[in-house]
Amino acid sequence: MRRRLLESLGVAVAMAALVTFLQLTAAGQAPAARGTAASAPAPKTTWGHPDLQGIWLDEFDTPLERGAKYANREFFSDEERAAQDDVRSGNVGRNLRAEVGSRQDVAGAYNAVFTSAKPAGRRTSLVVEPANGRIPALTPRVQEQNRLDREFRLALLQNTDTCKDKMTACNGWQYGPPSPRRAEVAPFYNTQRMNRHNGPEDQSLGDRCMLGATPDFNGFRRIVQGQDSIAIGVDTGQGQGYQRVVYLSGSHPPSSIRLRHGDSRGRFEGNTLVVDTTNFSPKFPFRGAAENLKLVERFTRVDANTMEYAATITDPTVWTAPWTVKQELTMQRDDQNRIYYEPRCHEGNYGLPALLIGARMDDKAFAEGRGADPASQDTASCLLNPDEPQ
Amino acid sequence: MRSWFNGSIVAAALAAAAVSAVIAVSVTRATGQATRPARVAAGKPNFGGVWQALNEAHWDLQAHDARAGMVTQKGVYSYEYARVPAAPVLALGAAAGVPGSLGVVLGDGQIPYKPEAAAIKQQNSENWIDRDPELKCYLPGIPRAMYMPYPFSIVQGTDKIHMTYAFSNAARVIHLNKVEGPPDDTFMGHSVGRWEGDTLVVEVTNFNGKSWFDRAGNFHSDALRLVERYSAISPDAIRYEVTIEDPKVFARPWTIAMPLYRRLEPNATVLDYPCIEFAEEFMYGHLRKEQLVKRWEGETMIVDITRKIPPGDRLHEWYRR
Repeated sequence: MRRRLLESLGVAVAMAALVTFLQLTAAGQAPAARGTAASAPAPKTTWGHPDLQGIWLDEFDTPLERGAKYANREFFSDEERAAQDDVRSGNVGRNLRAEVGSRQDVAGAYNAVFTSAKPAGRRTSLVVEPANGRIPALTPRVQEQNRLDREFRLALLQNTDTCKDKMTACNGWQYGPPSPRRAEVAPFYNTQRMNRHNGPEDQSLGDRCMLGATPDFNGFRRIVQGQDSIAIGVDTGQGQGYQRVVYLSGSHPPSSIRLRHGDSRGRFEGNTLVVDTTNFSPKFPFRGAAENLKLVERFTRVDANTMEYAATITDPTVWTAPWTVKQELTMQRDDQNRIYYEPRCHEGNYGLPALLIGARMDDKAFAEGRGADPASQDTASCLLNPDEPQ
Repeated sequence: MRSWFNGSIVAAALAAAAVSAVIAVSVTRATGQATRPARVAAGKPNFGGVWQALNEAHWDLQAHDARAGMVTQKGVYSYEYARVPAAPVLALGAAAGVPGSLGVVLGDGQIPYKPEAAAIKQQNSENWIDRDPELKCYLPGIPRAMYMPYPFSIVQGTDKIHMTYAFSNAARVIHLNKVEGPPDDTFMGHSVGRWEGDTLVVEVTNFNGKSWFDRAGNFHSDALRLVERYSAISPDAIRYEVTIEDPKVFARPWTIAMPLYRRLEPNATVLDYPCIEFAEEFMYGHLRKEQLVKRWEGETMIVDITRKIPPGDRLHEWYRR
């Protein structure tokens, strides 16, 4: 149980939750007046467009995919929400420790203070289409790709206690001698942490300060709106984040141009800003989708405090059908400016060189007969895939 | 240089006078598929779009001659003007040089360093590769981000103006409305703006003192305060002026000015320059298990250069016979 909790709560996730929690607390946003008192109508800009400007946040904790027991139900009852909040405000996870002094203990040293949760929202899932609230099945090609990728990662882990003790991180694999695959290049461009640290490419995008993919459903975002373009600054936590510019004219660049957050072109349809984004980069996948991802986002300001955000995600090379996420964003106080709009992870990234130095010292100690074989040490699985969407 | 700016001030003043009388009512200009009004709905000049400085200030704010390499070493002669390219750029031939410039520092063109700061600037210049934060892809700071050789976008909102820079996806928000200051010092500064007539005036504070002004080693401390002034020269050019004050480093305030140009390509956009990953080899290469650069002495990269001589074109082949 203890192990499972540590493994399921990646530190990055915990930290993101912490950042979110602190910002929420600092902003003093009372989660009141929601849905009850009627808010003022949605304003327009002086040039006649729906006014989307401000700092926005989904103040609720809603799972991306719907639990099977809610089947085709889009919303919770008030009682169900209250019950969930009761559970979340309880003592879950607080002060659970791995073996004191172990790597897992140090790496997982976040108690419930750090993992405070947002309240349960109305929605049973962010996914609203398909109607069952589940992301459609992966294509056979991607399933095979994922299998090969996982096999490689497990091979790097097979000589460690994680596999010897049959821990969940080794599920589907067996304990064995150091794998010759430790000398191989990863089978696909790597974006996640693995149990090897030969260079920056073996680390996760988060370790390398390149965290954050489009679309993002979690962070604070600031929208600044001009007559011919709209800027969206996204704060993903962990001192990371990114800027998007949505142009209201022009067309997507040639397909040879590949951008981390794609190329976004917007237009207004009635009161809704519709943004088409293509030209994504293979280096920054969104749940496995990259070059062939087509994203259509709809921003609709429902009233003075609320914006509805919907994103339809289409990539026939990854999913067997398109899927749509919907969430309600709440405006945050503008004057308090509680958004981290200067992502500067890279400037203070002592973690990455420290991690690589540590790995080289382990190599040296092993070569000189002073230390364990690095292949036998699990330096990843307690933090495995912390940057992947859960 | 000075005369250009004196002229431009007059031109800007004339333009400002003419703007309200003429441009506001009638002039719209088609660029590509969009028609862009010279003014936004609120009546202020329209600074929205993709912009770029077109000068050599990113090399050195001050007037300088062209030189043979980004990094040079003493050649046969000991004259400063006779230096030759040094190892890090030698294989790049004429593409590795630095273009000359008339400089962007107003007045006498000098940067009024205090004596001890002038010595640091000199050391910075001599240790450019080791010290310039740009080479590590650190956030460039203001004003440097405004005149790096990459485009940036301005989104002109109602109460905020947002700038997104191609370099490392850096950004800044200029607050035109009431806002609390940041909880910590920053690379990009905290920008609070106001309109003085048709000029956008921005005060920038809360710097952390870790940025430079250019590749020549010009630097500042955390006491830096800027006053930026943006005024329209035409719908497609902004006069950008910055007064720089930093009592820890400079004996008095000083001012730089330059035009910023609108990128007029029909589909102008800000393509990423995602340099964090570009800088990884430079910063962490010595920590690889199998190194790509073959010669490291501790943390010092020794770059071996392989270059064919002569470089294989027909003329050189003929001479070599």
